[in-house]
Amino acid sequence: MSSTNKSIQEKTTELSKLVDWFDGDQFTLEAALDMFKKAEKLANDIEHDLLLLKNEIKIVKQKFNSDS
Amino acid sequence: MEKPTNQPIFKTYGMDIVQQVFSVSDFIAVVNQTFEYAYPNVEVEGEVASFKVNQGKYVFFDIKDSGGSIACFMTVWQLRVPIEDGMKVIVSAVPKLTRWGKFSLTVKSIRPSGAGAIKKSFELLKEKLDKEGLFAVERKRRLPSIPNHVAVISSTTAAGYADFIKILSDRWGGVKIDVANVQVQGIDAADQIIKAVEYFNQQQKLPEVIVIIRGGGSADDLSTFNDEPLVRSIGASRIPTLVGVGHETDESLVDLVADVRASTPSNAAQILVPDKHEIIRSTQSQVESLVPRIIQVVDQQKAAVKSYPTKILEKIDSAIDQQTGAISNLKNVLIQLDPNNVLKRGYVIVRGLIEVGSRIEIESNKAIIKAEVINVVNK
Repeated sequence: MSSTNKSIQEKTTELSKLVDWFDGDQFTLEAALDMFKKAEKLANDIEHDLLLLKNEIKIVKQKFNSDS
Repeated sequence: MEKPTNQPIFKTYGMDIVQQVFSVSDFIAVVNQTFEYAYPNVEVEGEVASFKVNQGKYVFFDIKDSGGSIACFMTVWQLRVPIEDGMKVIVSAVPKLTRWGKFSLTVKSIRPSGAGAIKKSFELLKEKLDKEGLFAVERKRRLPSIPNHVAVISSTTAAGYADFIKILSDRWGGVKIDVANVQVQGIDAADQIIKAVEYFNQQQKLPEVIVIIRGGGSADDLSTFNDEPLVRSIGASRIPTLVGVGHETDESLVDLVADVRASTPSNAAQILVPDKHEIIRSTQSQVESLVPRIIQVVDQQKAAVKSYPTKILEKIDSAIDQQTGAISNLKNVLIQLDPNNVLKRGYVIVRGLIEVGSRIEIESNKAIIKAEVINVVNK
């Protein structure tokens, strides 16, 4: 996975952890707002990164006919 | 070539024409040159008869129709699909006059012709390769969940390739895609695809998956993907393979040998990468699902705070009840200790000195009695 894609996966994992926090024992209402803001930012970052990524298509120079 | 010997002279329109005389071998050579010039590559369709393989190397058969029959020769290495007597085929060949004066076709390639023959050949090869375990489920490898480097083998002008690239790009980005542009139908197609598979397998940095793409076509068009060497080449690939050839209903041997089969080129793109729009929806939905969770906790805490006065009153009530109970007990004790109550139970209170001759006062429940002590006995 490319560095940008890796970053997307890292962000996705981080978002999952944040979401899990809301269902876990560590949850407190005082911290919830900050955590929610973090989660919201991550989701927006993931969307932004995904929409920005383009594939790199290269036609190989090698010829595959019988003469090559 | 030797120079012609006897040279009879014919006169035509006043011109002299020398009639050339050949030796036998020269004539055979000239005929073959003429064939090569006139038919450098001829395709002939007919039914196979007298099919046999000699010494495991040389293949002989006749190709015939109701009007005639031609002997054919080829090597087993050129035989890429199973052939048997009665099968209708198209041979791609060079006509040749042998040194024994027999006319034959030197076959470069042979392929079944017509639905019946194609199906028969397909079934024969399928059975053979299946027995070898090439299609076994245990051989199948998983594709990477999100590949970073993909090799595509297809014709870049084919509609199937365009569909694949479009769907792939709509769904995901950031993938390095190396494309081997090959023919996907015709005599050379199978060899070109084999070379492309080998090319990618020889790269220093291997792609994570090879995708073979071709859109729909006739059974004849798709017969490339039932070519035995091609099937074996894909089966031997070090790199996991994904094949999207033809339409949903088409089944080729390449489909069977691939690690993963896609029903169409578009489906191959769907299998290869996740849909970024779905991931975006999913992440947004995850975040949105947190709001009700927070609201639920806030509601719970509000309800808890609201219940505090009630709890305090309940505690005060409980304390009062406890105190009331204690007072009540004390009252009972006091009642029990009240002298009047003791007198009611029959006891009396004696006041004065307890000695003989002393005057004392005795109080009972109902009277106060004055008396004199006449005797005292110690216990």
